[in-house]
Amino acid sequence: MAERERGLYIPAPRARPGQAPDFSDMVIPSAGAVRRPPADSAESELRHLPYTLIRVLDDDGCAKGEWAPESDVDMLRQGLRAMMKTRIIDDRMFRAHRQAKTTFYAKSTGEEAIGAAQALALDHKVMFFSSYRTLSWLMLREYPLIDLFNQIFGNARDPLQGRQLSILYSARDYGFYALSGNLGSRFGHAVGWAMAAAYRKSDAIALAHVGDGTSAEGSFHEAMTFASVYKAPAILCIVNNQWAISSFAGIAGAREVTFAAKALAYGVPGLRVDGNDFLAVMAATRWAVERIRAGLGATLIEFVTYRAAGHSTSDDPSKYRPAEEAAHWPLGDPIHRLKQHLIAIGEWSDSRHVQAETELIEQVRSAQKEAEAIGTFGKSKPPVREMFEGVFKDPDWRVLEQRRELGI
Amino acid sequence: MPVMTMAHALNDALDVKLGQDPDTLIFGQDVGYFGGVFRVTEGLQKKYGLERCFDTPIAEGGIIAAAIGMGVFGLRPVPEIQFVDYLWPGFDQIVSEASRLRYRSNSQFWAPITIRAPYGGGIFGGMTHSQSPEAILAHVTGIKTVIPSNPYDAKGLLLASIEDDDPVIFLEPKRLYNGPFDGRIDRPVRNWAEEPTADVPGGHYTVPLGKAAIVREGGDITVLAYGTMVHVARAGIEDSGYDAELIDLRSIVPLDVDTIVASVEKTGHCVIVHEASRFGGFGAELSALIQERCFVHLEAPIERVAGYDTPYPHTFEWDYFPGPARVSAALRRVLEF
Amino acid sequence: MARFEFRLPDIGEGIAEAEIVRWHVRVGDRISEDQGVADMMTDKATVEMESPVSGIITELGGEVGDRVPIGSPLLVIETDDVEAFPPAPEPASTAKAELDAAGGLAPEPEHTIDSPSDAESVLESGPEMTEVIAPQSEARPLASPAVRARAKALGVDLAHVKAQDGKRIRHADLDIFLSYGAAQGYRPAGARRADEAIKIIGMRRRIAEKMAASKRNIPHFNYVEEIDVTGLEAMRADLNANRGDRPKLTMLPFLIVAICKALPDFPMMNARFDDEAGVVTRHGAVHLGMATQTDRGLMVPVIRDAQDRNIWQLSAEITRLAEAARSGKATSEELSGSTLTITSLGPLGGIASAPVINRPEVAIIGPNRVVERPVIRNGEIVAAKLMNLSISCDHRVIDGWDAASYVQAVRKMLETPVLLFAD
Repeated sequence: MAERERGLYIPAPRARPGQAPDFSDMVIPSAGAVRRPPADSAESELRHLPYTLIRVLDDDGCAKGEWAPESDVDMLRQGLRAMMKTRIIDDRMFRAHRQAKTTFYAKSTGEEAIGAAQALALDHKVMFFSSYRTLSWLMLREYPLIDLFNQIFGNARDPLQGRQLSILYSARDYGFYALSGNLGSRFGHAVGWAMAAAYRKSDAIALAHVGDGTSAEGSFHEAMTFASVYKAPAILCIVNNQWAISSFAGIAGAREVTFAAKALAYGVPGLRVDGNDFLAVMAATRWAVERIRAGLGATLIEFVTYRAAGHSTSDDPSKYRPAEEAAHWPLGDPIHRLKQHLIAIGEWSDSRHVQAETELIEQVRSAQKEAEAIGTFGKSKPPVREMFEGVFKDPDWRVLEQRRELGI
Repeated sequence: MPVMTMAHALNDALDVKLGQDPDTLIFGQDVGYFGGVFRVTEGLQKKYGLERCFDTPIAEGGIIAAAIGMGVFGLRPVPEIQFVDYLWPGFDQIVSEASRLRYRSNSQFWAPITIRAPYGGGIFGGMTHSQSPEAILAHVTGIKTVIPSNPYDAKGLLLASIEDDDPVIFLEPKRLYNGPFDGRIDRPVRNWAEEPTADVPGGHYTVPLGKAAIVREGGDITVLAYGTMVHVARAGIEDSGYDAELIDLRSIVPLDVDTIVASVEKTGHCVIVHEASRFGGFGAELSALIQERCFVHLEAPIERVAGYDTPYPHTFEWDYFPGPARVSAALRRVLEF
Repeated sequence: MARFEFRLPDIGEGIAEAEIVRWHVRVGDRISEDQGVADMMTDKATVEMESPVSGIITELGGEVGDRVPIGSPLLVIETDDVEAFPPAPEPASTAKAELDAAGGLAPEPEHTIDSPSDAESVLESGPEMTEVIAPQSEARPLASPAVRARAKALGVDLAHVKAQDGKRIRHADLDIFLSYGAAQGYRPAGARRADEAIKIIGMRRRIAEKMAASKRNIPHFNYVEEIDVTGLEAMRADLNANRGDRPKLTMLPFLIVAICKALPDFPMMNARFDDEAGVVTRHGAVHLGMATQTDRGLMVPVIRDAQDRNIWQLSAEITRLAEAARSGKATSEELSGSTLTITSLGPLGGIASAPVINRPEVAIIGPNRVVERPVIRNGEIVAAKLMNLSISCDHRVIDGWDAASYVQAVRKMLETPVLLFAD
């Protein structure tokens, strides 16, 4: 509701707590409606794409249209499992926070398809400059759960030695760049990394994520400029989950233009994709890879999705949006839709799903117990000496003196 | 040995590095084709190609972010920020990212970048071309800050900085690019050719980070300085007639605290000289360190000769810029305390 | 700067020379007044020499083992300015020089008083108290860290020091205060030093055990008598004046002659008591032990058959044995078998002593210091040289009467010295 009484226009979401969820202004083409241009098309021929929505899976779980990817069902089942595992961990760790076992956690409920599908679509020569909401990438790549939980608990075996906030992982061997809590500042690192890959004539690719809110940061725009100017072999993604803590996407300009359309200003293709559609995410990512291989540089992809849970353990979304808004999200739930698809093609079943869930719960539970045996937050931590390590490659006299002050 | 200006010496360092290490890249505004607004990158693009030394958009954050990404990949980028006064748009990259990357990733990732920037006053550049932000940089844990005062050190320190695996901010005193300057504005501009420190060997050599240089040995009083102020301090010492020990810090971080302490224990007196404004300037940290470590040796308070606590003015350049007269007056006050 | 030659004084009642046993300083050291500089050994004893002035040692008069004639320079000291109160030195350079001298570690600068050692001249020509001592005031004294550190190391309370500029105490103010303060009692008694634990081993342990056993087993009694040695000293001087190239005689040989001559009438004094067997053996010969202070502690070389030797022989033997003991070259025969022991501390001897018997002997004789005092002779007050003689005896086998009679016999000979040589 625009407030024209006021001199200064301030955008507001369509529904606040107590009101009915309202996604009526979303234009949702049917699955398969958007054509798939060749990845090496001229950018001028792609300028309509930021205003559409690429979808593959229809409401019955059937794959439709030119964007439907060729995919191995084992890979898809792997993807499904990764998403399920992510959701199970999110649930358990959120509760662990309420039990004071960790100081912080953020769920990726509703967005699990994005990380998992991209992890499948990209090979091991990729470096992923992620946000803090892509656990499904690490799960697809089979990052050891014990290491995950040790970091969340900040215990004596934390792979990051107690230095970093919970869930801000770093996993170089899994192609996962060290998270920082700052928004947007790593987007440009992906571009630089890609520029280096190009310089070295390597076929490595950089993948980067920012959120809808973060796309307002100057660092996003600087990175886009560099990606465009130097034709960096990078896949740059805006994960539009509609909410940046309590600020709806309109505060970042969603009402005025789609996030994908920001690509137009930089002369790169902008794909706008159903982020809850596992196959569409894979397809769009592969298209961007093909474009890089054709020597045409970066692509911006907007994944349209919904942040079904709160921003983090410090947030209660019922304070600023209707409590049932997630349930009304028109693009459904990613786990449900892939499950439905696999069942539709005869490669899955409800009972297998239940069985998989049971196995995954057990896997997660037992890893969690193992981590809890080492210790949870405050009950166990790495040696205090680690606080002083890793500032520089070699410690200088200041930290050595300060260590001695502490008697270590 | 060839005589080089500081600008030539820096250019030579970059030439050596580009020649030796295919992973070294240089980029920044106007550094490529044009060779940089202070000519420090002159000829490098022509010699080594577009990819080795190239121009960037005007986006300091983007420049430093790209450098970090390249460093993470395995290259050794040497971005230039055209004036350190323009560092601020990229300051988030330095503080939030480069300085912490190794620490937060438990050394899985690190950014071996060297950010070069002209700094300091004495050129009527006003408040957007004269800043000295080393105190702000010193306070950021996880980065190093290096400031040469002469051509020999400039080349050696730059090579050492590039070869260092930690992020380094390399501040080049722009007033000294083409000639030494001791603040004696009533005399003709001098030439680097008159200074022994302009004898710069060709080829590769380094000057270690974290090691101060005793420019002049003395027994009465210790004078700490860096950049252009090393020359100004020396002039002030000559005018005063005191037997001062002049120390060129060369590295702000890592700091050679041992050399400083040994000197103040010997002399019992200390004056610190920096262009940057006094309040919260790097002289404050040095004063704190000295009084912690040399307290019972001190015969007089530590004085700081520094810029005033105003933005850097234009017309008042020589009123603001600490010159030899302010240095000698401080020496006198301290020694006659 | 002034050159001060510290000439060796007569430390042994007319000795000719003394031997340097140990140096406590080296050339270049900065010393203060009263600081010990060397150990000198005379016939009787070893004496520590103390410097009368402060300054820097520039020359030493010899090496350990050298004999320094009395009156010749033992060492040369470059004193600080001889003026009573020199102009205030540059605080910076003084402190710096001190820091240099102290090896660079500031907390204990060794600043010495720039004044002559003569306390009287300080009192006569020094500053007025009002110029130096701070007036009573509540305000905290102000001073730079270096001045504070120096004052603290010297134990000076800055509240007493007057700031000449009225504002802040400087090094020069501290200098003036120190030169004034030493004589006026503002100097603290000393600096607190760390405890030192020394293991009692080796010779020291044996000495300790022997002393304890002696006192534990022997009920000592003590007798002291005053002896007029005026005549004896005159005789000694005559003999020395005519000694030719023989070494100078000390008092000790005379005393030994008297001791030996008196013993035949008092055989119980020269005996050994085996208290377990319950047997006293009165010895015919007098093997006289001479308690001698050495670096390693107390040793008792023995003059065998002292009764057979004359003054000159005794003198030579005393010297030889003392040297042997001190140099560690004395044989075990030379260090054992005494039947009676004499212990003398020379000028350190005090006016009475109660020495510990050298068990299993039964007596020990301790001559005390010779002093010159007024006495009454024939109703007239005259100056006389007097020496007390102390003796400790084993009361189990010697009665007071015997000890006293013996001492009187010795006394008689010493007071009429010709009797030493007559039969």
